Amino acid sequence: MRTVLCFGDSNTHGQIPGRGPLDRFGRDVRWPGVMAGALGPGWYVIEEGLSGRTTVRDDPIEGNHKNGRRYLTPCLQSHSPIDVVILMLGTNDLKRRFFQTAPEVAMGIGCLIYDIKELSPGPGGHVPEILVVAPPPMLDDLHEWSGVFEGAPETSRRLALEFEIQADSKEVHFFDAASVCACDPADGFHLSEKAHRDLGLALAAEVAGIGWAD
Amino acid sequence: MPDMRFAPPNPIRIADRAAGLNAVSVRSYNERLVLSMLLQHGSTTRFDIGEKTGLSAQTVSVIVRSLEQEGLVTRGEAQRGRMGPPTIPMGLNPEGAYSIGISIGFRTTDIVLIDFVGGVIDSATLRHAAPGADHVHPDLHATVGALLAKISKARRRRIAGIGLALPEGFGDTQELSAFKERAEADFGLEVFVQNDVTAAANGESLFGIARDLDNYLFFYIGAMVHARLVLNHQIHRSGSNTAYDVGLLHFERALGSNGVSTEELWRRSAESPQYASAVETWKRDCVALLVAKVREARQFVEVGTVVLSSYAPRHLCQEICDGLAQTEPGLTAVVGSIHHSPKAVGAASLPYASRFTTSG
Repeated sequence: MRTVLCFGDSNTHGQIPGRGPLDRFGRDVRWPGVMAGALGPGWYVIEEGLSGRTTVRDDPIEGNHKNGRRYLTPCLQSHSPIDVVILMLGTNDLKRRFFQTAPEVAMGIGCLIYDIKELSPGPGGHVPEILVVAPPPMLDDLHEWSGVFEGAPETSRRLALEFEIQADSKEVHFFDAASVCACDPADGFHLSEKAHRDLGLALAAEVAGIGWAD
Repeated sequence: MPDMRFAPPNPIRIADRAAGLNAVSVRSYNERLVLSMLLQHGSTTRFDIGEKTGLSAQTVSVIVRSLEQEGLVTRGEAQRGRMGPPTIPMGLNPEGAYSIGISIGFRTTDIVLIDFVGGVIDSATLRHAAPGADHVHPDLHATVGALLAKISKARRRRIAGIGLALPEGFGDTQELSAFKERAEADFGLEVFVQNDVTAAANGESLFGIARDLDNYLFFYIGAMVHARLVLNHQIHRSGSNTAYDVGLLHFERALGSNGVSTEELWRRSAESPQYASAVETWKRDCVALLVAKVREARQFVEVGTVVLSSYAPRHLCQEICDGLAQTEPGLTAVVGSIHHSPKAVGAASLPYASRFTTSG
């Protein structure tokens, strides 16, 4: 039995586009669930998606617990040994209150990679496989969220390249979610049921593609 | 002093991709390791690459992604397993790189343009005015130029270089160095030189029937017969004379051909019983020599396979192979699978070896 931990934000939590924070897709609809189905019974998939989670930033409005770096280490240690850690974050770092450029958001991902390697929660105390997923770019119309995310759609289009540079330099796996799905127009930054399905299947192939001895 | 652990990353790989094949001088050893494996083994999975190179899965992932973006590597058809998601094999992109190969022979000069997996895209043959050694055909430069002019700009940028296969003892003439200098100046392509029989063996090892063979004995039947011993993909040759005079020259002499082309001889031998018996005799002589060489090699190393390459008709090569296998028990003898100018195709593999593999 192998373990994959999905560490993300509302798009890992499965928040339904254009609806309230309590409206969540069912377990089999959310991408970690889709991925679990595709990977089959040999894999244990852990969902760790928190709405509003940032990479490394304390949120003065939503709370310090949204800081992914604060929670990552205890989370990894709770679930270890872990074979694969999937990081899909970055969208919330683009809120106007943080005023971050794309390379700085990517550096936040770099910090999380660093923390995972330092803790080494893989089997036998080794570094687990780390898969960085760049979220799909935000749409231009963010409806009532456009003030919170002022300027974010443009920056979001540069995240994939910056994330990949981080993944390359830290030698970890990388996947660009925009290659298989897009954000839903209902709110401009959450994933539809179909997007969850396409992403889940693609990430299952990525996880399997790492290659595992039987 | 900033904490270097969190300094901005060096985007060197990403920058490489934009520059395409021109930035290969900085190609890392690990990238060469992965490309060598793909050149040698064809399609494989990332897992196998990791197993065979000893690189971690994450390192392989980064390298494969980078090679994919450069267009050197491509994903194959998804393979469905018994359970779980399908696995995706990786392979070289046939259109990822191209190379020119030139083989200068006794009577002709063969020129080929091959893709990254050894497919011949285009070719030309220059007939020498008179048969002889050390002949650099006056039209060679123009012919290479014409082949290059025919391909698209995008492909032109992906040409790895020019491989030149020369027979044993080819003189380092003024014409030869003039050709090399002009080719490098006019086409911007580096010229790599290798012995022609070794090149032919190289071609079979990389693109041909010997691809999955670690060890084999290679024979080339040209004007003379030549032998090479391949151990663990390394091609070895005898330090002393390696050309045996039972090749096609010997055959032509036996027929008293008087300058009749070999092609014509093959045609006649199919029709006339006199020629047919000459062919039989020649085949017997060939088999006898090859058996002797196999036995010599077998005194020192385990040789299970013989690969035979020649421009003689394929059915004759097959018959020689059959004769060999019958005489020497436990030996597999196969005809090389590169039919079109095996020496030139082998020569074209040289720039790949130099620019993309660990032997470069």
